[in-house]
Amino acid sequence: MQFASRSYSADSISAVQELYHSNGWTDGLPIVPPTREAVEACLEWVMMPPDQLIGIEPVRGLAITAEKLAINAVMAGCLPMHFPVVVTAWTAMMQEEFLMHGATASTGGCAVLVILNGPIRLEIGASGSFNALANSDRATAVIGRAIRLCLINLLDDRPGVIDRSTLGHPGKFSYCVAEDEEDTTWLPLAEHRGVPKGASSVTVLAAGAPRQLMNEWTTKPEEILETFAAEMRANMRHYSIHPGNYALIIPKQLREHLQAGGWTKADIATFIHERARIHRREWADVGKGAVVRDRGDSVYTAMDSPDQLLVVAAGGPAGGFGAVIPPWLGNKSYAVTLPIGVCVDCEPPKK
Amino acid sequence: MFEVLDPTPGTAPPAGQLAPRLDTLEGKTIGFISNGKEGTKGFFRHLDQILREEYGVAQVVSRTKSNYSAPADPHIVAEIKGWDAVVSGLGD
Repeated sequence: MQFASRSYSADSISAVQELYHSNGWTDGLPIVPPTREAVEACLEWVMMPPDQLIGIEPVRGLAITAEKLAINAVMAGCLPMHFPVVVTAWTAMMQEEFLMHGATASTGGCAVLVILNGPIRLEIGASGSFNALANSDRATAVIGRAIRLCLINLLDDRPGVIDRSTLGHPGKFSYCVAEDEEDTTWLPLAEHRGVPKGASSVTVLAAGAPRQLMNEWTTKPEEILETFAAEMRANMRHYSIHPGNYALIIPKQLREHLQAGGWTKADIATFIHERARIHRREWADVGKGAVVRDRGDSVYTAMDSPDQLLVVAAGGPAGGFGAVIPPWLGNKSYAVTLPIGVCVDCEPPKK
Repeated sequence: MFEVLDPTPGTAPPAGQLAPRLDTLEGKTIGFISNGKEGTKGFFRHLDQILREEYGVAQVVSRTKSNYSAPADPHIVAEIKGWDAVVSGLGD
């Protein structure tokens, strides 16, 4: 396989680490050496030649090739079976409505949340159970990290260079969650967003840190969801008032109360859309009175419409916890969902 | 021994070309492209005054992007060719 990338020789694993750290090619953690063999294995898995164009970054016009994604994916710890997710996530991130440059350069400090649906979750061992959104399993850990290493190395999204975040959040190391489709009666997120049943898919969201919440003291769906809505209202007061794609992560304990009451994801979204709204004047209660101006009576909703809400079944089996994941900045970036491509008549690349 | 690959593009992104530098600002038309953030207002107001009063600029055209995180809107970009120079300021 012919690679366009320059290669380097290093005597030892520690020499590899120093080479990559000293060039600014890491997130600060050790990397897996991207050898020719490891990178080839990723490309063979997706049946792509190294110079396969995955897309053009829309703002700065950078061509993103399969080879460069594979090098960074290997560095992050990806195995070949993880690579299709990385390719699809990056394809989604390059859609204009995602506004990748703005989202990753912004002082706002968001990260790219990757949500997995479909059979690939089980094939790669991506868990949507205990410790979801963090180090729940190898697959989500390395996929999320690959997204960030690609941003650092392909778009120069280094702190203080293109990445101008005032504050980041831990999801900027890795931010990936698999929906727990087996342990819910709800439709998977991707099906809600138009992906055919049974297809594997990736949803990307330019997202702030998870806002954790707890309500173990009721079984009533309206009360449980009121806690989620209140957390969204808090985000609207304290962070950004503008509507956009919010995600709710609902673990099993709270999910079962909602499901027992017959609530679908669509019902949840309708309820949340009614409850997650504030008056502009509420900014005055949190120290932002200067920007209320004469529009105090204006009502702002967390989403433009219920279908902007991404409801995800994930989390460990016990505990009345949940999380609200807010958008980077309202509708400046939209969540994008893409199925993971299957090329039925492709041939493997020539060696 | 490890043989490892460079994870960066290796080539710079396509760069725009700078317009020829102006010898003087006197009598020129200067465009401002604001990202619309709060801090741009005072900055551009002050700069407008300095350019007219101290440098003899003939005209200042102020435009504001519709999305401060995205490139300038096409209709603003289309106007640039009618200006002698552009100031694109951040407001953070």
